[in-house]
Amino acid sequence: MASEDVKTKKKEKVPRVKDVQRGVWSKEALEEIRYKAAVGKHRIRGCGTPQRFPNFDDLMVLPSQLTRMSIDTYREDCKTQTVLGLRYARKPLVIETPIMISGMSYGALSKEAKIALARATDIVGTSINNGEGGLLPEERDNSYKQVVQILPSRIGFSLRNIEAADALEIIVGIGAKPGLSGHLMASKITKEIAAFRQLPEGIDLHSHPRHGDIFGADDLCLKMEEMRDVTDGEIPIFLKIAAGRVWEDVKIAVKAEVDGIVIDGTEAGTGAAPVVASNNLGIPTLPALVQATRALEDMGVKEEISLIVSGGIKDGADVAKAIALGADAVAIGTGAMVAMGCTVCLRCQDGRCAFGIGTQDPKLRKNLDIEKAARQVANYIQAMTNEAVIIAKAAGKTKLHSLEREDLRSMTLEACAMTGIPLIGSNYTFGEQFGFC
Amino acid sequence: MVRLDIQGMGSREVNRKIKELIRTEKDIEVNNTHSIHNFATALKGDGKITLNGSTGFYTGGFLEGPTIVIKGNTGWYTGDNMSAGEIIVEMNTGSNAGPSMVGGTIVVRGNSGSRCGWGMKNGNLIVCGNVGRWTGKMTLGGRIVVLGEVGEGVGESMYDGVIHVLDPAVEDKLGGNVRVVSIEDGEKKALEALFNKYGIEQDVTAFRSIVPRVYGRHDYIIFNPTHKQRVDA
Repeated sequence: MASEDVKTKKKEKVPRVKDVQRGVWSKEALEEIRYKAAVGKHRIRGCGTPQRFPNFDDLMVLPSQLTRMSIDTYREDCKTQTVLGLRYARKPLVIETPIMISGMSYGALSKEAKIALARATDIVGTSINNGEGGLLPEERDNSYKQVVQILPSRIGFSLRNIEAADALEIIVGIGAKPGLSGHLMASKITKEIAAFRQLPEGIDLHSHPRHGDIFGADDLCLKMEEMRDVTDGEIPIFLKIAAGRVWEDVKIAVKAEVDGIVIDGTEAGTGAAPVVASNNLGIPTLPALVQATRALEDMGVKEEISLIVSGGIKDGADVAKAIALGADAVAIGTGAMVAMGCTVCLRCQDGRCAFGIGTQDPKLRKNLDIEKAARQVANYIQAMTNEAVIIAKAAGKTKLHSLEREDLRSMTLEACAMTGIPLIGSNYTFGEQFGFC
Repeated sequence: MVRLDIQGMGSREVNRKIKELIRTEKDIEVNNTHSIHNFATALKGDGKITLNGSTGFYTGGFLEGPTIVIKGNTGWYTGDNMSAGEIIVEMNTGSNAGPSMVGGTIVVRGNSGSRCGWGMKNGNLIVCGNVGRWTGKMTLGGRIVVLGEVGEGVGESMYDGVIHVLDPAVEDKLGGNVRVVSIEDGEKKALEALFNKYGIEQDVTAFRSIVPRVYGRHDYIIFNPTHKQRVDA
């Protein structure tokens, strides 16, 4: 063997120190330590957590074969129309697909992005949610159905917002930073946003983490009565909670007489949040949804109260599986932004979004073509709905909402234990069962 | 004047009746209030409603125009989210008076609990007696006036707006991100006008003002060790 060959072989055998995996001391962990050592504070970042959690991909749907008949994918009907808030409201929210657009504020997003999202809802017949900081008139003018949030900060909020709403959503928390308040960094509080939100220009806004007029569950019951008075009982009132103690929170919400509950899992996105909060607070969407369904069934109100789930919903399969687990609808945020061009760069907080989505910079805002973006979001929702329908029909359903948990099996022991859905190839569950025996 | 006896009625029934009445009657007297919650929710227009008794939580929430006079006490969250009109409480309120109000005026002749003016955006909140802690927490605008003593943490993290106080010990009770300054001439005139309107006898020159310490970015202390360092930094 030539001496050169021996040298090369030896080099290949000896691992280079820099390539050795260092367990918890990943590149990101080292970088975080260096950042904290330099500035002495926690890091703020956009988009929510990049961590991988058990999710809907860990479930499979059982197709119909001999035990039941499939529905023709292309020639037979499968209903997708979704009715939310039937419990008390005289005018429930009726949308054509169970995919809603979740609350993203004008401020976190550009005006152009908000208008594009609103137009998309009009194309496919679904709802948009205004998010924190008031209701943009152009959003209301362009949307098919408008959900208006009631946030702890009440920034930009008034009776006019309520009058413009097809449904209200009282926010207790969001999945990306449960227990924390909204963060809107100074880079996004331009003169226009400051005027719209009635804020001083150029501040770093750390808004209110609790409602100034709801200090506990008993108050919430009274507040709900007040809101019924304000709306004259016409439109549905939902309550959005970040996934944590879901079982207990859902039961309290039911007693407060809400029409629907939105469960926001920890995979949910945000414009800005402390990294430590996004990565460590809350529980994933999948087990949260199961707990919420269990709680509603335990109280005997599953059919009365609408259950909406959000956080990491990315395709029609997720929608189908969420419905099978008990959701009446899902809400999407990050997915809709990606459809407009977002690359999930995790830098929303900077306000320098080159795609004109998460920015207030007049030059960058011009990069978003409203009509094109609206069409892309509408296409995305349409395609997701198609995917969900394909799965439902293959499972033998003529209504998307006829999907049920018996149609599911878990791919992993982890998902099985979390959801109570039997492990694939068996009828066994590990842990608490979810309606199976 | 028209009199309304609400004995045994629920808040929704009461509110419906009042909304009907105020379309034609400009002076309504309400009896047997029995600390009813959610009184006069989202009431619009003009006119005066006088309650001979106390009310519970959320009195005058989302009020938009009329004047409500409560000849008793009110519970928590008086005037929540109100945008116009007046709420005059002849006695005391519970905590969180005027949360997130965007306009109008609340006058409390007695004392008010903690967190009055929480997240207030605009309007006037006048307390003739004492207030509890965290008055004016995270206000975004408007004017709070306290004639008595203030509790701890007053003005915590105000973004905008002003709190006028007489309490001589206010410096010891300030919240974060605020400072005490002299009252300006324009503010004195505005206070005089308010005091004249609501029959409050008080010299306005004695007031001082609490305003945001830095108009803009706030400093927050999340970790605050209290030990003594061995070596001075």
